[in-house]
Amino acid sequence: MTLRDLVLVRLGVAVNLVVGQIVAALLLPVYLDAVGTILIAALVGPRAAIVTGLTSQVLAAVLSGNFSWLPFGIIQVIIAVYAWVAARAGAFRSLYTAIPAGFLLGAIAGGTAAPIAYFVFGGATAGGVTAVTTVLRGIGVPLPVAVGVSSIGTDLLDKSIAFAMVALILRTLPSHLAARFPALAR
Amino acid sequence: MIGYVAGDSPLHRAHPYTPLAWAGALLLVAFAVSTPAAIGSVVLAAVATAAVGRVVPSVMRPALLLALPTWGLLLVLHGVLGPDPRVALGPLSLSQPGLARALVLGGRITAILFAFLTVLATVSPPRLVEAMTARGVPFGRIYLLVSTLTLVPRMRSRAALILEAQQCRGLRLGGSPPARLRALGPLVLPLVLGALAEVDEQVLALDARGVTSGARRTPLAPPPDRAGERALRWVLGLLVVAAYAAKFAGHGL
Amino acid sequence: MKPIVRLRGGSFTYPGAPAPALHGLDLELRRGEVTAVTGPIGAGATTLLLVAAGFAPRLTGGTLAGERESLAVRPGIVFATPWTQLTGLCHTVRAEVAFGPASHGRPREQVLAVADRVMGQAQVDHLADRDPHTLSGGELQRVIIASALALEPDLLVLDDPAAELDPAAADALYALLREVAEAGAAVLVATPDVERAARVATRALRLEQGRVVKDGPPSEVLA
Repeated sequence: MTLRDLVLVRLGVAVNLVVGQIVAALLLPVYLDAVGTILIAALVGPRAAIVTGLTSQVLAAVLSGNFSWLPFGIIQVIIAVYAWVAARAGAFRSLYTAIPAGFLLGAIAGGTAAPIAYFVFGGATAGGVTAVTTVLRGIGVPLPVAVGVSSIGTDLLDKSIAFAMVALILRTLPSHLAARFPALAR
Repeated sequence: MIGYVAGDSPLHRAHPYTPLAWAGALLLVAFAVSTPAAIGSVVLAAVATAAVGRVVPSVMRPALLLALPTWGLLLVLHGVLGPDPRVALGPLSLSQPGLARALVLGGRITAILFAFLTVLATVSPPRLVEAMTARGVPFGRIYLLVSTLTLVPRMRSRAALILEAQQCRGLRLGGSPPARLRALGPLVLPLVLGALAEVDEQVLALDARGVTSGARRTPLAPPPDRAGERALRWVLGLLVVAAYAAKFAGHGL
Repeated sequence: MKPIVRLRGGSFTYPGAPAPALHGLDLELRRGEVTAVTGPIGAGATTLLLVAAGFAPRLTGGTLAGERESLAVRPGIVFATPWTQLTGLCHTVRAEVAFGPASHGRPREQVLAVADRVMGQAQVDHLADRDPHTLSGGELQRVIIASALALEPDLLVLDDPAAELDPAAADALYALLREVAEAGAAVLVATPDVERAARVATRALRLEQGRVVKDGPPSEVLA
């Protein structure tokens, strides 16, 4: 990675960590903690995006003290690679392509999170997700299904919005800035 | 309180890699064991080490705050809603295997939280940077882990400023979900675009200071790494291997 | 004396830009001289700094046409906003200032000695043990300059360095630039502050739309 890539990854990680704060102020039921990763995937490439995602995972744990999130690192890799593929395919050129692409990532990411949550934590991780899981179990839904549904549900919304956000950012980039990112020209 | 707490305990004085190695080993062992008794010992080991670091009061509160909601949900999810046979606990009828599972899962999370919060409390970031520099860890890795943490507060205050400015321009934070969703744009876009515009300056400043020189950076105050500590880290590694060997040999700890 | 940087017929175009940011550039920078560059926003002063110091096109991309000869082995650069120039890795001012020589692998004693010397020069020695992130804009900018001086640059370029400083600090900064030049470096400073620049500059340039329209003694150019 060049020095410039490094500084961009750092920016991506900071965005991942900070956007969540804005989202909380707006009382939206999502995290949006992958906007930075997705942005770096579109601006730089898959390797930089993977580093962004993994570093964000570690630093989020350090900042919040909640180290139980560490095993979900593999999902960061999936998000990074998928976002890069989506960028290459031109998904970010319009909101009409970005949102469905994000929706699909939500399904994939949530679907991957579920087995990790199930095997590693017996279904209990994030409060909100676990609460939904518990309710579903309470009405008789088998545990793996309950974990899967609650996990994917939040992710569909989260990743759709995240992809829309990145599409907007890329569209609003001033041309002299955009010219500095060869990955965008493709 | 999450974060470094100044002090003079053996953990504070240790080479930063030692508490890290210990927390990592504890994390791995926590996943190797699967009986309530075994996980109980792991939790005790975590708490004992926090005591060695003289940070139990600082670590206890955030650890419990973070763990308690999960404990509650686990006890309901597995204890109440688990399979038979059941055991009576006062007025409640709890699933026996479910309860055991809840104890193990909850214990795991508690042990990991205690361990890593202790590390955060006893390893000071500048000392860790010096240790990594002395070991020849590439600038990039150290930069990403440490420098980002100094960028975050600056971005947070900028986000707060953008929030204020947009509110002066009529942005409302309340309202229907679609309205709140639309408010995301005017808040996130300036933040990200502003940060992107600074990238070139940062690259130039770092390059001018020689980070691309290829030379190995000189540490200014490297923490000493005593032979005893290095040996201890090796022992921890062996303990992890032993725990997993026992697990896969079917000794079901 | 042979110039440390010489540009002849230089023109520079940023990547993807429709027109050159600089053209027809003839410039010579010499040790011991303080050259001030002035002009309206967007005239190309910052670009001139980057080209002179060799940061463009190496780090910015783009194309440089014309002749460029440079004996400047170690350029130092200082921008207007101090916070973006911090490494973010250093928890004391001393460590931040020492970062440059330390990154070049110089021995510890040498690194610390240089750091102490330049901290004294930039008048930030009393801040040596403070966390850079707790300093005011003015103090931090002096720390950044000290950090640049720590590598003993033969060419120091500065982009509106006193933008965030109060009047007294700004005076001290420009006086420091004169000292740095007298110690043997070439100094190139882009600034709208023509009054302070005129006090310390030995030469001045005025840029308009990427061309040098005036080049001569400060009294003429910066009037």
